[in-house]
Amino acid sequence: MNPTTRFFEALGQRGHEPLLEEATGTIRFDLTHEHRVDRWFVAIERGDLRVSREGGEADSVIHTSRTTFDRALAGQSLYAAWLRNELTIEGRNRSLPRLFTRLMPGRPGARHPRDFRRERRSAA
Amino acid sequence: MSDGLIRLLDGNTFVVSEETGDIDASPTFPTGFFSFDTRFLSKWILSINDQRVNVLTIEEIEYFESRFVVVPTLPTSRLDVSVSAIRERCIGGSFTERLTVINHEPEPVDLRIRIDVESDFADLFEIKDVRNKKGTYYTRMDGGCLLLGYQREGFRRETLVSSTVPGRIDERGLTYHVRIGPRGQWITDLHVRALGLGGRDLRESLEGRPGRTKEQIRQDLDDRLAAAPRLTCDSPTLAMAYRRSLADLHALRFSPLTAGVHAVPAAGLPWFMAIFGRDSIFASIQALPFASDFAATTLRMLTLRQGAVLDDFREEEPGKILHEMRYGETAGFEEQPHLPYYGSADSTPLYVILLDEYERWTGDAAAVRLLERSARAALDWIDEYGDIMGDGYVWYQRRNERNGLENQCWKDSWDSISFRDGRLASLPRATCELQGYAYDAKIRGARLAREFWNDPAYADRLEREAAELKQRFNRDFWISDGEYYALALDGDGRQVDALSSNIGHLLWSGIVEESRAGKIAEHLLGPRLYSGWGVRTLATGEGRYNPIGYHVGTIWPFDNAFIAWGLRRYGFDQEAGRIAEGIIEAAEYFDGRLPEAFGGYDRTLTRYPVLYPTACSPQAWSTGTPLLLLRTMLGMEPRGEYLVTRPAVPASMGRIELLHIPGRWGRASAFGRARPERR
Repeated sequence: MNPTTRFFEALGQRGHEPLLEEATGTIRFDLTHEHRVDRWFVAIERGDLRVSREGGEADSVIHTSRTTFDRALAGQSLYAAWLRNELTIEGRNRSLPRLFTRLMPGRPGARHPRDFRRERRSAA
Repeated sequence: MSDGLIRLLDGNTFVVSEETGDIDASPTFPTGFFSFDTRFLSKWILSINDQRVNVLTIEEIEYFESRFVVVPTLPTSRLDVSVSAIRERCIGGSFTERLTVINHEPEPVDLRIRIDVESDFADLFEIKDVRNKKGTYYTRMDGGCLLLGYQREGFRRETLVSSTVPGRIDERGLTYHVRIGPRGQWITDLHVRALGLGGRDLRESLEGRPGRTKEQIRQDLDDRLAAAPRLTCDSPTLAMAYRRSLADLHALRFSPLTAGVHAVPAAGLPWFMAIFGRDSIFASIQALPFASDFAATTLRMLTLRQGAVLDDFREEEPGKILHEMRYGETAGFEEQPHLPYYGSADSTPLYVILLDEYERWTGDAAAVRLLERSARAALDWIDEYGDIMGDGYVWYQRRNERNGLENQCWKDSWDSISFRDGRLASLPRATCELQGYAYDAKIRGARLAREFWNDPAYADRLEREAAELKQRFNRDFWISDGEYYALALDGDGRQVDALSSNIGHLLWSGIVEESRAGKIAEHLLGPRLYSGWGVRTLATGEGRYNPIGYHVGTIWPFDNAFIAWGLRRYGFDQEAGRIAEGIIEAAEYFDGRLPEAFGGYDRTLTRYPVLYPTACSPQAWSTGTPLLLLRTMLGMEPRGEYLVTRPAVPASMGRIELLHIPGRWGRASAFGRARPERR
């Protein structure tokens, strides 16, 4: 299973996500892959999540390639992909996608500031 | 006071040109037409019969429009001018220029009018050295338009130049061969648009909606000025600075993606026309009694982008409030960490402070409830990620060692944190004002927890932690031989002992022991820190003191406004008044528009405030300074459902009346009159 599919399925099982408590609305992801479109709906109600492959109206639609989304799950910024036009956003609600990016991981190898200080100290 | 450059702006779209209206970008100063951190014009030069133009007059009508009257350069000054031109320029959504060329002679003239056009599509971060760009440039001429473009992978930026009178277009500009009749004139409207993906307007392609037109901007400005409290005062400088501040705050309005029609102040022209967590918060606090919508949007916008994960490149941590947000090429390709960059140790506690202050003015309890999770996350950040040493203080040490900031406090230049002898402090660093903000955030967080989040146990805990922090701070930061607080603690636990303006912010935060406040006030108004205009960032006599050193000797108006507020908090009314007086007097030399910083020279030495060489202007928190000084002089404080005023107006200010101050009370008024000076 590719990282993107794994991510959305895991998300569906999460039920509630405190980081999305400020969010209400549905985001549709259209992820192109080998001339097909992988479609995911994420319905958010103050942090309560429902993930499905089919749904109706979305408040916000994100178009990108599954490759770009896979890379985002490996720590590359979705926001940067948007600036490079690898990702486009449609729909009235522009804050939903922004809130959603909270679920994206940071770059691999990131350290807690305390651990970082210890590393630097012992290296010195 | 002028640096020879003319600026027009509308949020993060702006034009900086020479006094002739020409743009000819140089490495030292970013002239050009910019939008979303990219330069769309690096050359825009008018010539008439192959001669460049000289300026006769410039009229800066509003922050978004100006008028230049120019004449072709003449070999000698004795010849009469037979032709002149008027460049009426406006920014709003795009850049427009109405060019009118006038023939003063009774005979017809044949002219070759030329506009040279070029764009380097520089990212604001490479402006000082635009070379080796990784993408490719292209030029197209079609439909009477000139299109300049730049593409790197999917990233595309284009400049589209059009003209109502068709000219001859080549790759480097537009040429018109015109005959103007006796005493006649010739007009064309030039239109320059910044485009993003698929030839769509850049703002539209990034934000989903076009920019405001000139008419909308004017209407918004008129509405804002009409809605603002009315100031009547004896000091013409104060009146001028007030009017200027309201307009400039509007000019700096910047609607980031996701903010809808709402706006936050961008930090400062030209280097910082972007969202900065710290700058937006300070400016919003200053503006609260006058326009609380900035605070509302700032809170919303910062919440949306609050950190959620650990990321070393962006220096992100859960709960952390951003430092800076950019939209240029270097951000898009993650060469710079600005999407957003989180390298600031104060924006997170300041966020909690703003939320509390916002509620106190507006009574917007719904916002406090809505932001409970994020405010708690911010408070948690202070103890978990801010406290790098695990000793109860807020510290910083950059993890992005390539292009992260060395100093993550408001004095964020590399040399700002030093000992008396000029040595730089070792890492990590805990500057004193960070501890003040953390203390204040906990006190204010406790109020929010008790009154709105229904969590008295959490409130008790925050208050207990705040009290412990205050006690610890007064023990560890106090320099007994100098009787002031250390600028910082360094990584080896030593007191960084330089005397700095930072001690003034401590008064604002309330972390100073009552018994020590007098000494602090004495230092602030003493000859080593106080120049006669204001408090220097670093005291004279310190190893790194330099009157025109960015954070090591210059005077920052915003810094002084918060110091004055702090002095009043501890009852030093006269001292607060002296600072307010000095800064407002300085504003006179800048036509009411306080720059980011000015020189720390002694007032008696230079007689006028010396402009810091590359100061930003307008700069949001300098723009907010006259507003906070007004609040300070009038002693305006929300108490429950009322506005309480406790005026302490310095002698030279005479009378100050502020009417229709908006807040949870509806509208209120404040009056203050200086007491006659005692002799």
